[in-house]
Amino acid sequence: MTTRIKLRLNQQQLELIDKTVKEGEAAGRADLVRRALKEFVQARPTSPAAGE
Amino acid sequence: MAASLQRKILKELTLEPGTGKALEVRRGQVLRIAQTSGRQCADFNCFNLHDYKEFFHTGRTRHLHGLHPTKGDFLWSAPPRERPMMAIIEDTVGANDVLYPRCSGFLFEHQYGLPVHTNCHDIQAEAQREYGLTPDDVHDSFNFFMHTGVSPDGHPFIAENTAREGDYVEVLALMDVLAVPNVCGADVMKTSDFELKPLKLTVFEATAEDWRNVPDFPKLRNQRSPADFKVKNIKADRELYRDESYRPEFVNVPVVISELEVELSPSEMESLERLKATGKYGDTDAEVLRYVVFTWWISRFMRGPKHASP
Repeated sequence: MTTRIKLRLNQQQLELIDKTVKEGEAAGRADLVRRALKEFVQARPTSPAAGE
Repeated sequence: MAASLQRKILKELTLEPGTGKALEVRRGQVLRIAQTSGRQCADFNCFNLHDYKEFFHTGRTRHLHGLHPTKGDFLWSAPPRERPMMAIIEDTVGANDVLYPRCSGFLFEHQYGLPVHTNCHDIQAEAQREYGLTPDDVHDSFNFFMHTGVSPDGHPFIAENTAREGDYVEVLALMDVLAVPNVCGADVMKTSDFELKPLKLTVFEATAEDWRNVPDFPKLRNQRSPADFKVKNIKADRELYRDESYRPEFVNVPVVISELEVELSPSEMESLERLKATGKYGDTDAEVLRYVVFTWWISRFMRGPKHASP
């Protein structure tokens, strides 16, 4: 079972996401978001860096 | 020093303590600022020779190169121009500063009770007066040979000067500039180890080898010129008054919020909840996920120094 999250983004933030998708980094907006989550967590395997 | 043997010397002079000098340095010329006896800070201003409203900007330089720019770094002009004005092609010390503002008459009067005292602002103003500029035109300086740091609690400090006799920096002009170095006037601060010493200035014609020391730099549409400005003329009077015909034309306004729906698997939700539990990324799942997306994007794709913590 999946959970739906609704991100609140403005047109400039969407432009950055769309540009990144267009450059081939993901199949679509949602796919890019899931990739970001996966790689963000991989970079912080236990706990986030201090000071964030 | 090998490059200087092949260079044509265009000008040589000595800056005496308490003085500065406005020098026309054309594109393709190199200005060397050298220590005579060592341990002397040099403050520096720089203007586009053909448009004084384009001038060196400590802020953007600090942003792109950190607090201690050195060989391989640029002296950038202020927004919206944001062009490299000069390139640092040699630096035998590596202790420069773009954190501290210039010392001023106010500072010596306020902190030391000395109302008449050599100070970088007034020295710059007097040197720039040769080209019709006023004390208001002096800008935050690039501080060559100024050894500084930041304490763990965030306060800047001045450390002992590490420049020695014969040390020098060289900046290559990437546009025609009015370059204004001065002997820092602070003799009761640690800046120049409590003694004002002369500095030697030399202007050379750059060689091909000098140009090879200039890194590539961006040329973008947002490095704007007066041709891009809605107001074309420089305001010449001091009073501010409203333009009745003004209609705001801000970029990308209105900022419109929309929702991007993303489906997450149970394991992805588990990851998201763990991040949310730290309390560092936002209060809701959506806020945390948005934080994750853009922090990831910065670390993965952004050019230049990262502004987000690792």
